[in-house]
Amino acid sequence: MEAIKPKSNRAAVGSLQCDNTTFNLLKVNDFVAKAIRDRLPEVLVVNLCSSPGSGKTTLLQETGKRLKGKINMAVLVGDPETERDAIRMRDVGIHALQIVTGGMCHIEAQMIYQALDHFDLDGVDLLVIENVGNLVCPAAFDLGEDFRVTVLSATEGDDKPKKYPRMFLTSELMLVSKSDLLPYVPFSVEAATLDARDINADIEVITVSSLNGEGLDQWCDWLIERVSEKKSKFQEA
Amino acid sequence: MHEISLVRNIFRTLKEEFPDDFGQIRDIYLTVGILSNVQPIAMENAFQAVLEDEPGYRNKNLKVEVLPILIHCHYCDKNSLVEQYRFICSYCGKPGKDVIQGEELLIKKVEFED
Repeated sequence: MEAIKPKSNRAAVGSLQCDNTTFNLLKVNDFVAKAIRDRLPEVLVVNLCSSPGSGKTTLLQETGKRLKGKINMAVLVGDPETERDAIRMRDVGIHALQIVTGGMCHIEAQMIYQALDHFDLDGVDLLVIENVGNLVCPAAFDLGEDFRVTVLSATEGDDKPKKYPRMFLTSELMLVSKSDLLPYVPFSVEAATLDARDINADIEVITVSSLNGEGLDQWCDWLIERVSEKKSKFQEA
Repeated sequence: MHEISLVRNIFRTLKEEFPDDFGQIRDIYLTVGILSNVQPIAMENAFQAVLEDEPGYRNKNLKVEVLPILIHCHYCDKNSLVEQYRFICSYCGKPGKDVIQGEELLIKKVEFED
């Protein structure tokens, strides 16, 4: 990037124009995201996004139990305040660290990079970043992840993909959570899937329930496959 | 979105790029794609709020231009406008998500006072 600087401060009265500067306001974030990718060539990184209260933490608790003995999962969890989610992870034996964003509505790559200095990833195959509950801002911040997964719970309504298009455009997988509630709420998995694929034709969809276990094996298999793909890619390189 | 922190990012970026001439910057032209989720009015309000907070930044103006979403189709090699967030080529109807415009969050141009 080469900026055109004003050539002289002795120009005629008026203004000097500096064209084609195009400084990307997220360039720092994107630079750090790349550094995270370079730092974790062997670990699969998943950025888990959703609205607040969609069941990300409960889903990860259940995921951790099912992955035990198969792959090693660690979780970095972001919230504006409190360490509650990291405590919930540790309660079920998941290696977890809380990122308190101090009111910020999203996690930035810099926060992950700093957290990595305090988080032992020795032997970890899968690092899940549980983002701040928010379908808007986190969509713009690359955290160095390999995959972005967005959770949409049955109680939120099936209109969310079209309302928050960038999140679904940048996700590889949509998990429809709380499927145990589907008989009681006006949520059509088909309608949500159609809208999500209108935005992103390639997005995969898995319906899950952390309460009755529906879809969890399929979700865990998806993770295990992605981990083995990443490992074989690393070994080839 | 988080407009105040974006405005602070604008100033930080400009201070880095123009350490000597920062004080002379008068007009800042921002280009935002629809997918950046940045609202021009919210951005301009945040800009005014930061100006009032930082006496050193006075006499600067922000102008925000919004860009629509364009995708490139690999099948027919054409670019088309995305309307209603339907990521579909308007020529051949095939889905596509190769966004070539619409994610911008750029300082496009700055004008300096003499």
